[in-house]
Amino acid sequence: MTETTERTGRDDTIALKVTDLKKHYADAERNVFDGISFEVPKGKVLVIVGPSGSGKSTLLRAIAGLEPIQGGTIALDGTVIETGRPGNEKSGRVKRSEELRTKFGMVFQSYDLFPNKDVLGNITMAPLLVQKRKKDEVEREALELLERVHLADRAHAKPHELSGGQRQRVAICRALILHPEILLLDEITAALDPEMVHEVLEVVVELADAGQTMLIVTHEMSFARAIADRVILLADGRIEERSADAEEFFTHPKTERAREFLHSFDFVRHRDAQAERELREFDAQ
Amino acid sequence: MLDWSFIGRYASFFVNGAWMTLFISVFGIALAIVTGVVCAAIQTARIPVLRQLVAVYIEVSRNTPLLVQLYFLYFGLPKLGFVWSAEMCAIIGLGFLGGSYMAESMRAGLQAVPQIQRENAYMLGFNRRQTLVHVVIPQAISVSTPGLVANVIFLIKESSVVSAIALADVMYMAKDLMGITYDTYEALFMLIVTYLIILLPISILGTWLERRFDYARR
Ligand SMILES: Nc1ncnc2c1ncn2[C@@H]1O[C@H](COP(=O)(O)OP(=O)(O)O)[C@@H](O)[C@H]1O
Ligand SMILES: [Mg+2]
Repeated sequence: MTETTERTGRDDTIALKVTDLKKHYADAERNVFDGISFEVPKGKVLVIVGPSGSGKSTLLRAIAGLEPIQGGTIALDGTVIETGRPGNEKSGRVKRSEELRTKFGMVFQSYDLFPNKDVLGNITMAPLLVQKRKKDEVEREALELLERVHLADRAHAKPHELSGGQRQRVAICRALILHPEILLLDEITAALDPEMVHEVLEVVVELADAGQTMLIVTHEMSFARAIADRVILLADGRIEERSADAEEFFTHPKTERAREFLHSFDFVRHRDAQAERELREFDAQ
Repeated sequence: MLDWSFIGRYASFFVNGAWMTLFISVFGIALAIVTGVVCAAIQTARIPVLRQLVAVYIEVSRNTPLLVQLYFLYFGLPKLGFVWSAEMCAIIGLGFLGGSYMAESMRAGLQAVPQIQRENAYMLGFNRRQTLVHVVIPQAISVSTPGLVANVIFLIKESSVVSAIALADVMYMAKDLMGITYDTYEALFMLIVTYLIILLPISILGTWLERRFDYARR
C-alpha cells in the first residue's frame, strides 16, 4: 500500500488522485475496472506494469478524458475534475475545457504526428492555436525542447522523414510545450525497432530527473526499475501489488502474481541445466 | 486521309463548343462539390433523418444515367410547372450526378483519418473547429484528392450528354458538322482533340495536386 496517509481534502503534494474508478465498455460483459484507487505525487513517476489486456491503456485513456468512466472520481491538483456516472458508456470523449485537457500530456504507442506539418509545426500548433501565445516565443521554446531531445537539426523535417524513435521524441515535445501537470505515456516504445527504444527512454529519464510528474505504462522492465518512484502491477483490472519502493518491487515482489509477472520477462534455457548436470557428472568421474 | 482544310474551316465551331462544355462543366462541378461537401458533412456528423435522405439521394444519383436525369429535368419538370433553360438543366443534372460521387470521395477521406489523430487534437486542447480545420480536413484531403480529380474528369466527359437537350457543346458541334458536311472522320478527330485539350491539363493538374497532398511521399 502507499505510504502517504489518505487524508481527506486538499493535498498539494498530490498531482493526480484516482479514487474507486469504475470503467465499463459498452457491450462488454464485465467491467474493466471495478473500483481502483491510486495517486501520483507531484514531481514523481508512477509506473504501471501488467500483462496485456489488464486495462493499462484504458486507465490512461480514462484519466486523459478519452474514455468516459462509470464510477469513482479523478482529481487533478486536489480538484475533482471528473465523477463517474453509470450508463455513459457510449458518450465518447469526455467534455472537458480546452484548458483542462492541456493539463494532461499524452503520448501513445503508435507514433502519429500530424503528417501535414513539419516537426516545428507539430510542436507549435497547440500553443499558437489554443493558448494564443506569441509565435516567436513559442518557436523559441519549441527549439529548446528539440534541443533537449537531440532533434534541433530536424526542426523542418516532415514526419515521414523521421524514424519512429525521432517521431516519438517529437511527440513528447508536442506534449511538453503545453506544460502539462502530468504526462501520460502508454507503451511509447512498444512499436519501435529495438535500437530506437533507448533514445526515447533516455529522454523520459531526463524528464523524470527534471521533476516532470508522469504516469508511465511500459513493458521495458529495466527502464521501469530505473525510473519508477512507485510501481503498480495491474492484472485483470485490479491492482495486484503496489509499491513505493521500485527497487524492492523488481527484486523482491511481495505477491505471487508479481513474481509470476516479472518472471515472464526472464529467459531460462532448460538445455543449460541439463548440460550443467552432465558436466557435473563428467567432473565427478 | 483527313481533310486538313476542314480544321481551318470549322475550328471555330469546336472552340465555341468547348466553351459551352467548359461553362456547363465548371458550374456543374462546382454544384457537385457543394452538394458533396454538404452530404459528406451530414453523413460524417450522422445527423438523423438528413442522413437517410442523403443515402437515398446517393443511390438515386449513382444508379440512374445522366441522360435520364437530363430528360427528367428538361422534359419532365415542365409538366410539373418548372421550366428551366437547357443550360440550367445541364448544370443541375451534372451537379446532381456529381454530388454523390464527390460525397463518396470526401467521406472516404474523412473516414480514413485515424481516430488517434482526433484524440491527439483533443489532448492538445483543440476545439471542434480547430480539430476539423487543422487536423481532420488536411489529412482527409490527402486521401480524397485522387478520387475528386477522377470525378472532375468523369463529369467533364459525361457533360457530352447535354447535346441531347440541344445544348451546343463540343459533342453537339461534332454531330452537327457530321450531319452537314459528311466529313465524319474529320469531325470525330476534332472532337477527340478538343476533349484532350480540355482534359489533359486537368489531368496533369490533378496529378500535381495528388502529390501536393500526399504527405507521406512528398
Ligand atoms: N474500445 C473497447 N471496447 C471494448 N473493450 C475494450 C476496448 N478497449 C479495450 N477493451 C478491453 O478492455 C480490456 C483492457 O484493455 P486495455 O486497456 O487495452 O489493456 P492493456 O493496455 O493493459 O493491454 C481488454 O479486455 C480489452 O479487450
Ligand atoms: Mg495497452
